[in-house]
Amino acid sequence: MKKHLLGLSFLLMMGMMLAACSGDSNQASGEGDGEWSPEKPVEIVAPAGAGGGWDTTARSVGKVLEEEGIMEQNIGVVNKEGGGGAVGWSYINSQNNPHNIFVSSPPLIFVPLNGQSDLSHKDFTPLANMIADYGAFAVAEDAKWENLSELFDDMKDDPSSVTVVGTSSPGSMDHMQFVSIAKKAGVDIKKIRYVSAQDGGGMTQILNGSADVYSTGIAETVEQVKAGKVRVLGITAEERIEGDVLSTFPTAKEQGIDATFVNWRGFFGPGDMTEGQVAYYEEKLKEVSDSDAFAEIRKNYGWNEMYMNSEEYAKFLDEQKEELSGLMEELGLVSN
Amino acid sequence: MLKTLNQKLSLFLILFASGYLYLTYNLKEYPYVPVDSDFVPKVLGYVLIVLAVFLYFDKSSETKEEKEKRTIPKKEILVLLAVGAMIFLYIFLLELLGFVLSSMLFVFGCSLFLGYRNHKVNVIVSVIFPLVMYLSFNYLLQIKLPQGILPF
Amino acid sequence: MGAMEGFMQGLEVAFSFQGILFVLIGVIAGTLIGMMPGLGPISAIAIMIPITYGMNPSTALMMMAGVYYGAVFGGSTSSILLNAPGISGTVATSFDGYPMAQRGEAGKALAIAAISSFVGGTVSVVLLMLFAPALAQVAVSFGPAQYFALMFLGLTAIASLSDGSTVKALIAATVGFMMATIGIDGQTGTTRFTFGNPNLMEGIDFLVIALGLFALAEICFLIKNRKDDSLSKQGDIGSLKLGKSDFKEMRGPMSRQSFLGFILGVLPGAGATIASFIGYISEKRIAKRPEEFGKGSVKGLSAPETANNAATSGAFVPLLSLGIPGSGTTAVMLGAFLVLGIQPGPLLVQDHPDVFWGIIASMYIGNVFLLILNLPLIPYIAKILKISRPLLISLVAIFSLIGVYAISFSTFDLYVLLAFGVLGYLMRLFSVPAPPFILAFILGGMMEQSLRQTLTASGGNMLALISDPVSIGLYIVSLISFLVPLIRTRNKNDQSESEQKAS
Repeated sequence: MKKHLLGLSFLLMMGMMLAACSGDSNQASGEGDGEWSPEKPVEIVAPAGAGGGWDTTARSVGKVLEEEGIMEQNIGVVNKEGGGGAVGWSYINSQNNPHNIFVSSPPLIFVPLNGQSDLSHKDFTPLANMIADYGAFAVAEDAKWENLSELFDDMKDDPSSVTVVGTSSPGSMDHMQFVSIAKKAGVDIKKIRYVSAQDGGGMTQILNGSADVYSTGIAETVEQVKAGKVRVLGITAEERIEGDVLSTFPTAKEQGIDATFVNWRGFFGPGDMTEGQVAYYEEKLKEVSDSDAFAEIRKNYGWNEMYMNSEEYAKFLDEQKEELSGLMEELGLVSN
Repeated sequence: MLKTLNQKLSLFLILFASGYLYLTYNLKEYPYVPVDSDFVPKVLGYVLIVLAVFLYFDKSSETKEEKEKRTIPKKEILVLLAVGAMIFLYIFLLELLGFVLSSMLFVFGCSLFLGYRNHKVNVIVSVIFPLVMYLSFNYLLQIKLPQGILPF
Repeated sequence: MGAMEGFMQGLEVAFSFQGILFVLIGVIAGTLIGMMPGLGPISAIAIMIPITYGMNPSTALMMMAGVYYGAVFGGSTSSILLNAPGISGTVATSFDGYPMAQRGEAGKALAIAAISSFVGGTVSVVLLMLFAPALAQVAVSFGPAQYFALMFLGLTAIASLSDGSTVKALIAATVGFMMATIGIDGQTGTTRFTFGNPNLMEGIDFLVIALGLFALAEICFLIKNRKDDSLSKQGDIGSLKLGKSDFKEMRGPMSRQSFLGFILGVLPGAGATIASFIGYISEKRIAKRPEEFGKGSVKGLSAPETANNAATSGAFVPLLSLGIPGSGTTAVMLGAFLVLGIQPGPLLVQDHPDVFWGIIASMYIGNVFLLILNLPLIPYIAKILKISRPLLISLVAIFSLIGVYAISFSTFDLYVLLAFGVLGYLMRLFSVPAPPFILAFILGGMMEQSLRQTLTASGGNMLALISDPVSIGLYIVSLISFLVPLIRTRNKNDQSESEQKAS
């Protein structure tokens, strides 16, 4: 314990020296709206197992924070898997410590609406959004549809003539992104046949004809499109994405369907946080977002930059919830 | 009525299956699929009941070997329960005391209780094993085991 | 570029100094992490990803592949010595490996596992090299209806997994299947049997059940026999000596399971676990003395170990030639590719032949390394069993507990583990076999999902399940494999009856 204190005071001294230009920072524990900086290692919780989207985001941001020297404290990534995120969220909530932050994405909206978590985005403090990913709807190369309008025309006649496959279960990402676009196109969303397939099953199923449309992330389709095995009918972004193959993917919007769907990913802290704490993380995450190292990571994973500060993020989340809960209510997926 | 062990087991299984079936009938409905989430569980519940009935009438007697397995002296049952309780206590203390301390206590205590009399080796192992595990998980593999009250 | 030319280029990369060095690092790290409780290939790869930042992609990926099959290789140690499978692919290894080790032949058991792994790994790499691009078609040929038939085939083997009462085996399987229904249902998003507990929403982890039913239940038995020190008195438990007859026994399973395991590995979703079970069961079916299985049979140990390593190479087919990750492990592996700026897919072999062929070529070296590194260590590792029983019991308990904690980081799972330990012990007392329970748990979940996928896509038409030759073929094999043992036991009964009459 003594050693610990010693190390801490050493760090504090270092901090004070460094902070000479940026003002007084030895106001260690957050009092009111004073400035704040972490006094022990920061823990980034990925509310999922190793290897998933949350985990890779947490680890890559953690790495940039540490290697670029943006945060002076050590950063550890902890996996709290379970309940589609619910286990990790309740962990953060029970710790209620500004040194524990977590990564999340649209499931933070779906899962509480599904009734699978008592905690919702309102119970946490949005710190900053980092990246955006968009959905793509892919079909096999020999499919009869050339674009979304043709697909949705068929589905308007008989929604159950088309089988849609995705990785997540109904009421989550892959399902909802398809439903929200199809709804705008005028399809009866209650009659859509949706199948969930894990372990690479989605791509497999459209390649062998077990399913017709694969609702997934854009990055998952690129290589197959390059090889001429599948065709992307439309993506859920506002406008086309840059990149040699990516730029050939038409958006739903340009095909006359006025709908978008963003798979955002960002950082949250526990419910009780002071302004100083929020400002601290906002600034650090902004630095990460602007760094070349993170730009490289975004490029490799096919993510898009989408920085939002805490305030913008909170507003954005409320809008998201509004929009999604309407859809989910119509499908009878909202449980109280 | 419940003479054989199989009959007792069978009755227990029927109760278990009924409880399970009761839950399957209360699952939330999802109207957009032809086969809902309750289908397979219901089949399983009924299959278990049928199998339990078969077990009830299963006349095959046990081999001697099998019977012998079940004759445990009272004292041994107490030992088993005590070890179970120690594991329970270990789990309870894991996140409070931290991995290192609770594992040390468990390894030393449990080995002693089971009749390990070489105290020197016991102390050495119960100190070194948790420490090596903890350090290699935490620092080498970056997998955080509970830190508890220790400062590292 | 021709395949041969590409392969030569791959060999060049793999046999460079850097290549050899990093493959070596990879297999050592993989084996060590795989031996750790609860850490299988998924964690091993995830742990090693940050190390590859900034490395040359082909060397880095050769290392990562080494980590992957090294971890599968290392996972068998705890199954054999402690009955505590660290990963799902090595559960079947414990069926015969553990009894063999308990008989005082720990060294032999580990050696058989190492040699079988080596053969399975190497033969499958040859297959991978020859057929990887061509097999891409096979990898995507299975739709949900075919998967359902495949799982069905696996389940019909349940009766053969136990020697005692068939009713009890089926009961164990049914309850195991029920456990697989806990959690959020994939097809509807409905939460089933969770009692509102978020820890149960993603279902019970396989390892919790395996470590409970096998390792903890075994601890109870060790406690009862804790005064038994025959193993520590026995001289040479670490001896690697394999007789001619042992090799003769291993030849069959190794040659068959290298192929079968590889093909099952190619199918996304099937993977090492199912390959090892099917390998075990199929060898038991065709064995002349199936009654030896489960009691320390050489064949019963060799089969799953060959199959799980062969399946590991097989899993690279969809990953390298299609960019489709067929399992949680290959999904993380895909992440490792992405970090290095390489997107695996149908064009990988053209765009990055050095990576594609380099990985394949490196697997030859890796497998040789694994064998020559592990064989000399076996006598030392086997000595674990010489630890005095009371101390060993405490250590195995902790080992299992960390194993589970390292998966979910929640104490809730530890309580579940304890509960399954109690269940496993009771099952043993009442002679209800555990293998059918675990097999049904693994296959059941996939079977239910593929059944319902098929029916959703067909609008509820049951005929969709039997509408193609592959599924029909699989059902016919299931039927045969179900009937053969019945006929066999009847013959045996007749025989013993006539013998009785004669005497």
